[in-house]
Amino acid sequence: MVWPFSSSAQNTSTNPNSSGPKSRDGGFIAPDRSAREKCYESRDRLFDCLDRNDILDAVKEDEKSRRVCKGENGVYERDCAKAWIKYFKEKRVMEYNRDRTIERIKEDDARMVAKQKAEKKGRGLFG
Amino acid sequence: MSKTVLLSSIYINPATQKAPFTTVSLPTTSFPRFLPLLPTPCKNDSTGQSPQPHRPLIFCATGAAMIFYFQYEKARLERQRIVEMSKGYGKPKVGGPFTLKDTNGNEFTEKDLLGKYTLIYFGFSHCPDICPDELDKMAEAIDIIQARAPNVLRSIFVSCDPARDTPSVLKSYLSEFHPSLIGLSGTWEQTKHICKQYRVYFSTPPDVKPNEEDYLVDHSIYFYVMDPEGDFVECIGRQDTPESAAGIVLQHVRDWKREGKKIDETPLPYLSQVQGVVGTPA
Repeated sequence: MVWPFSSSAQNTSTNPNSSGPKSRDGGFIAPDRSAREKCYESRDRLFDCLDRNDILDAVKEDEKSRRVCKGENGVYERDCAKAWIKYFKEKRVMEYNRDRTIERIKEDDARMVAKQKAEKKGRGLFG
Repeated sequence: MSKTVLLSSIYINPATQKAPFTTVSLPTTSFPRFLPLLPTPCKNDSTGQSPQPHRPLIFCATGAAMIFYFQYEKARLERQRIVEMSKGYGKPKVGGPFTLKDTNGNEFTEKDLLGKYTLIYFGFSHCPDICPDELDKMAEAIDIIQARAPNVLRSIFVSCDPARDTPSVLKSYLSEFHPSLIGLSGTWEQTKHICKQYRVYFSTPPDVKPNEEDYLVDHSIYFYVMDPEGDFVECIGRQDTPESAAGIVLQHVRDWKREGKKIDETPLPYLSQVQGVVGTPA
């Protein structure tokens, strides 16, 4: 089966898992700015669909996400490099957890500051 | 507790009307010599009014000036401390000899860093989002620095992905970010060596097969600032904006020049090439 890679790049790899088209000196051409933008848009559309369906971890809930967001998933996997597909899904979970942790820390801080203020008021100006 | 001590020592006995500064418990070593000449801040006589109404104003103005002076000196000494950490005994061993190839296939070593300040970023072209973001940031910072201090900076991108990032791949990848970016790549051993010299973590195994798999490379995300003598100055991290990153480099350049040290200000080759391209029809 021949994969329809662009003819301008010498592609000797027919492996769909490979890192992409090869360059003249044996390297592997990376996605350019417009290809990256296309991937980001497809990714954002998929993530919007996941948000609507309350799916956070598309890796763990792979089956469900494929069923519920079939079209978006297909486009995402078409537009993004293989290693990026899993990376963005994992990053989504990581960012969610990080934001929740930051919120929790802020709430704890606010509670501690309020507590200290109350104590200070009770003690007066010169502790 | 210290506040209590301070306030009680500033309190004046109206009967004696002594200057308070003789009893204030402040560190004397770092204070400038003109301190004893300052006017006394609060002289309360029995009516509670200051006998000379303009005195508090002078005090406040002098206080503000002192605050600005201290902040400026503190920042300058902090930068000096950072710079001196990279010189002399006990300097951090970041940097050192290396050999790589640039995007024209020419050899590039640590000697090619001398003469100008250098910003070095380690990454790889198949990076999903972090490297493109950081390179966009770097491009903006380069433009700011070039505008304010022309031709003092060299900007380098070192690839941590020797199996995929060859000179021609890097050339087309970096051309989308900034024409001044010098892309460096090498064999797995050469890449491992420079990452070790710069204390950069990178995770590429020596036997990865890009033909058969797509993969990501873990790597440290910092810009390394090197001075014209090839010594490490400091790192700029993800939290910095282009303006703050440029500010850091520009401050070091100013300090360097103020000490009378030389920077090679010959324009980099990309500037004449850019002008050439502008002249040719589309």
